[in-house]
Amino acid sequence: MSALPEPLNTLIAELGALPGIGPRSAERLALHLVQSDPQAVQRLAQSMVQARAQVQACQSCGGFTAQQPCAICQDARRDPSRVCVVERPVDILSLEKSGSYFGKYHVLGGRISPLNGVGPEDLEIQELESRLDREPIQEIILALGSDVESDATCFYLAKRLASRAVTVTRIAQGLPAGSGLDFADELTLTRAIEGRRSIR
Amino acid sequence: MHLAHLRLRDFRNYPRLDVDFIPGFHLLAGPNAQGKTNLLEAIYLLATLRSFRGVGGAQMIRHGQKGYFVGATLVGQTEQTVKMYWSIRERNLALNGQPVRKLTDYWGTVRAVVFCTEDLLLVKGPARTRRRFLDLLLAQTQPGYLPTLQRYAQALRSRNALLKQPAPDETALEGFTRELARLGAQIIQPRLDLLPRLAALAQSAYRRIAADTENLRLEYQPSVKQDMAVELAQARARERQYRLTLIGPHRDDLQLLLNDRPAGPFASEGQKRTVAIALKMAQAEYLTSLHGSPPILLIDDVMGELDRQRRAGLLPLLEEAHQARSQVFMTCTEQNWPRELGRALQGWQVHEGTLSPAA
Repeated sequence: MSALPEPLNTLIAELGALPGIGPRSAERLALHLVQSDPQAVQRLAQSMVQARAQVQACQSCGGFTAQQPCAICQDARRDPSRVCVVERPVDILSLEKSGSYFGKYHVLGGRISPLNGVGPEDLEIQELESRLDREPIQEIILALGSDVESDATCFYLAKRLASRAVTVTRIAQGLPAGSGLDFADELTLTRAIEGRRSIR
Repeated sequence: MHLAHLRLRDFRNYPRLDVDFIPGFHLLAGPNAQGKTNLLEAIYLLATLRSFRGVGGAQMIRHGQKGYFVGATLVGQTEQTVKMYWSIRERNLALNGQPVRKLTDYWGTVRAVVFCTEDLLLVKGPARTRRRFLDLLLAQTQPGYLPTLQRYAQALRSRNALLKQPAPDETALEGFTRELARLGAQIIQPRLDLLPRLAALAQSAYRRIAADTENLRLEYQPSVKQDMAVELAQARARERQYRLTLIGPHRDDLQLLLNDRPAGPFASEGQKRTVAIALKMAQAEYLTSLHGSPPILLIDDVMGELDRQRRAGLLPLLEEAHQARSQVFMTCTEQNWPRELGRALQGWQVHEGTLSPAA
């Protein structure tokens, strides 16, 4: 039998189910919460409920948003001729942090993965195609990873969009910025050599 | 490079073992089932992170214990330490006190070649054993080969999963096909490049140890004739039927020919054994020529099965190991102590998971 009261055990179990939180962390967080100011806990609980209720996927691009369509899709200063295709909504956050991209986004919601039973029809590809029909898009930038499934997904998209009047590009692969060759593994270097460019 | 210290905890039948080894020949003697081969297995594990007996980690844990530990000090130009712990829940590998993040960073720390009865499968067994033989050698010697092989395996699994579907999406299939063909070429080429050198070494090793003068030839048998992408396209109809990827480096074979006839079905038992040892000697000599010093040789009971002349064929390799201050670990039961290796032997008595210098 556990020495802890039942509600505390429930809280530990709930926290422990969250990603990145092990049994020890769950216990520490729970013990902290039950000893905190009740109002602070109330605020935390409320913000969790609110966030869950209000944050939705944008009906247009699939990114996180509290309004429809999302702020990025609505932003008139953003270049509407470019759409960057990413796998997950959090990838938008990564690209936004870089501050180097001013176009729009489209979230696929996964990648083609036969081993997990994910086919093209499970991804937001039709939605992307209908956006091509109604928006003035000239370039699709594929910003997927570099594993086997991402490569195959990129190929699939390029092929499927080939008949349309749109340029399909893929983000470059190679050395991490600011690092030397000695830290790169062989596969990365191979890709870097393949993707070399002339300097002028 | 030599193994200066070996530490075992709950590994096979060794509850705890701490032993120092000098460079040179080590003869591990003792009756059956005392732990002679287990010691070779531990050293081989340090080199390849797998067992040469084809078993997983769980089987190497001492009965009733949670996990095993294998530690080693290696002395070459510098001194290195390896610590390895394996249990069902946890596996740790540290080199010089630092956790190893990528296995490719670890490969090559210890080099070892094993001669054991399972080698016979190289001749008798399915093509998979021979492919693995080539792959292991290439993974040990060519940077980038292992990650390419792993990526190929992943692409293959995905593609096969797609082929299993009732109506696979053709464009999606093409995506994986392209990936497979690109990676496949990067696996076949190094194998083809390795073959002439390996074949020459195997042939001269065979000549040295065989009583008769048969000719051993190694031939790479590709399932792909020229362009994997084109041939995969041609194989589509058959693939649809079998629901499997039918060509590629995962279906290739290394043919072993004795006087132009496949050794598997045609050679005698004695000849097969000789071919297997010749392949392993070629492997060891290839590694020696590449690195300038021989790998640690682990010889498990093979000598006992061989007659004098075949044993003598191993001597040049052993001589080289001796001169480079490398090591040879050999197991034997009392009866078949190879007399011609008499000088400068470190004798060890293995008894129920303990090791003591032989009197």
